[in-house]
Amino acid sequence: MFEGLRMFMTALGDFMSLRVIFDVLWSTQLGIIVGMLPGLTATMGVALMTTLTFQLPTNNAVLILMCMYIGAIYGGSRSAILLNIPGTPANAATAVDGHPIARQGRAGSAIGIATTGSFLGSIIGMFMLALFTPIIGNFALRFQSYEFFWLAIFGIVISGNLTAPKDPLKGWIAGFLGLFVAMIGMEGIHAYVRFAFGSVELSAGIDLIPAMVGAFGFAEILMIMKYPVVEVIDTKIDHVIPRPMEILRYWKSIIRSGVVGTFIGAVPGVGEDIAAWVSYDLAKRSSKNPEMFGKGSTEGLLAAETGNNSAVAGAMIPVLSLAIPGSAPAAVLLAAMFIHGVRPGPLIMIEAPQFVFHVVAMVFMATIAMFVLGLSLVKFIVKILQVPRSKLMPIIFVLCVIGAYAIHSRIFEIGVMVAFGIIGYLMREMDYPVAPMILGIILGDILDKNLRRALVVGDGNILPFFARPISLVLFLFVLFTLVSRTRWFRSAMGRIGSGIRSLFGRKRNGES
Amino acid sequence: MNERQMQRADFITSIVLIAFGVSVLVLSIQMPRLENKNINPYTVPGIVPGFLGAIITLLALILFVRALRQRGFQLGITRQAVSNIVKNEMIIRLFLTLALCLVYALLLVGWLPYIPATLIFVFIFVMIFEYQWGVPLFKQARTVLMGIVEATLVSVIVAVVFEYVFLVKLP
Repeated sequence: MFEGLRMFMTALGDFMSLRVIFDVLWSTQLGIIVGMLPGLTATMGVALMTTLTFQLPTNNAVLILMCMYIGAIYGGSRSAILLNIPGTPANAATAVDGHPIARQGRAGSAIGIATTGSFLGSIIGMFMLALFTPIIGNFALRFQSYEFFWLAIFGIVISGNLTAPKDPLKGWIAGFLGLFVAMIGMEGIHAYVRFAFGSVELSAGIDLIPAMVGAFGFAEILMIMKYPVVEVIDTKIDHVIPRPMEILRYWKSIIRSGVVGTFIGAVPGVGEDIAAWVSYDLAKRSSKNPEMFGKGSTEGLLAAETGNNSAVAGAMIPVLSLAIPGSAPAAVLLAAMFIHGVRPGPLIMIEAPQFVFHVVAMVFMATIAMFVLGLSLVKFIVKILQVPRSKLMPIIFVLCVIGAYAIHSRIFEIGVMVAFGIIGYLMREMDYPVAPMILGIILGDILDKNLRRALVVGDGNILPFFARPISLVLFLFVLFTLVSRTRWFRSAMGRIGSGIRSLFGRKRNGES
Repeated sequence: MNERQMQRADFITSIVLIAFGVSVLVLSIQMPRLENKNINPYTVPGIVPGFLGAIITLLALILFVRALRQRGFQLGITRQAVSNIVKNEMIIRLFLTLALCLVYALLLVGWLPYIPATLIFVFIFVMIFEYQWGVPLFKQARTVLMGIVEATLVSVIVAVVFEYVFLVKLP
């Protein structure tokens, strides 16, 4: 505990230079702007920023990406409140109560409440990041190939399940397609080139960053340009800084949203959007005034914003401890760490424990910057929302092209970006979530190596996949996730539930 | 997309995905077993892609059966439906954006030097979506001028930043 605190203070000390503080301020502000503009998502911002920072020293680059991530997830609340259009998918729940508050003429208060909620959520997430990363990392040291195989499958299945709640089948298809994409190119055991069809470029595999820039950048440009221009409302901003009592009244809701948001963020491939909705839903269920939700409830707005920002830190827990991203932007951060030569995973607490606390310090600095910038310069920054999309989108596409090209200086990567942009667009149109596919691209290599390794170790025996305790638990999780979405399982559960209820009902009647 | 269109789209995508899954499976089975290298037979390169191909086929089959039940095979392609799509403003905007981006990314970059390629792309993009045909040019001089200024600034700034700050050799 004290060791962790000491390392955190040392890490914070490492960052105390004017240059670093300047980096934190501009990147967080840029993150807020990126998040605020509908269509520019956190994932796209972090992916483009990775291409701009790959020449910087590791800690500075990851710090800038972290600031971009936290700033963007918070920034999306601005357009959710002012325009009723969530700036990033993570802020959809924010719009439900944030916009009604703005329409009551209290746009400034809504921004203030959202900022405070995001700040508190991020701080709760940060504590849990510092607490759980070492614990999970140490636990994962017991993982062998069998467990990593199930972890990869579990990641795909749970991510597909939660990112496509209406139709999980499409989520799973997206995830397995992502795993397939990772199979393209030279494999890691015998250096055999798969699915390259003689192309030298393809034999190096599909790089994650151009794929993400395409799937989250180019696809979004197509989506946005498709719709005719929406009217920009010029809302008056009243006082922004919230009254402490207005926030503290809901301390239970804040802590619950923060903890729930962090846990959901930590589930592989399930990001801030789901965290915000679940926090919002839980707050509504346990609120004293649930009827106010959707009509401008401060509690609802706080819960949504606390939930999504705590998920940011939550998403970093599996990145650091298992090398499995908790959300789409965290997937880019993971890729960026690999580019910079950091190897996250179970060994990180042995090889580079300091790095974990550097990340905690980064979250802390980004959170403070977000809070300060979020409460200042509001009127000026909101003006950026008035820039027409026809002027903004070509610039974004120019950045997508040069960003995809810059990391390896290969024209081929531009083609990859364009291809994934079109695939990403089609997926969105047909309700296939993109996040499981991206998770698949990362998990593919883990799956490939560990399945084969496990088969070699067991000499073809598949029993250990189900007989080892942790394996068995992961397998049961996968099975439960798959089965729980089938119709017969739900009707059976419904019948059991009503049976139990009627049993208790009868007892109670009998007693009375 | 409405529910009906989604059912049709699911029907078509499920067939594409089944074909894809089966081809992955077949290609994986055909992959060399590297016996001459005396490798452990459980590490042959085709084993994991084959497993994935099988799962994709299975999931796509479920989607196919579901689309069949929802009568997604009634595609409803009529002359009227096609002409409605062609005239739809959103579809036109989509294809214009797509065409502009593809020409820039796949043709202009690499064929022209980076700055002129980007300048042309940004200017034409802004003009296509902002210039109003039928309104005389002198009334829209500001729009055109702003387009030129934006295109010049973007292309020069991006080029300078990447070339001299990030030391990337531009395409």
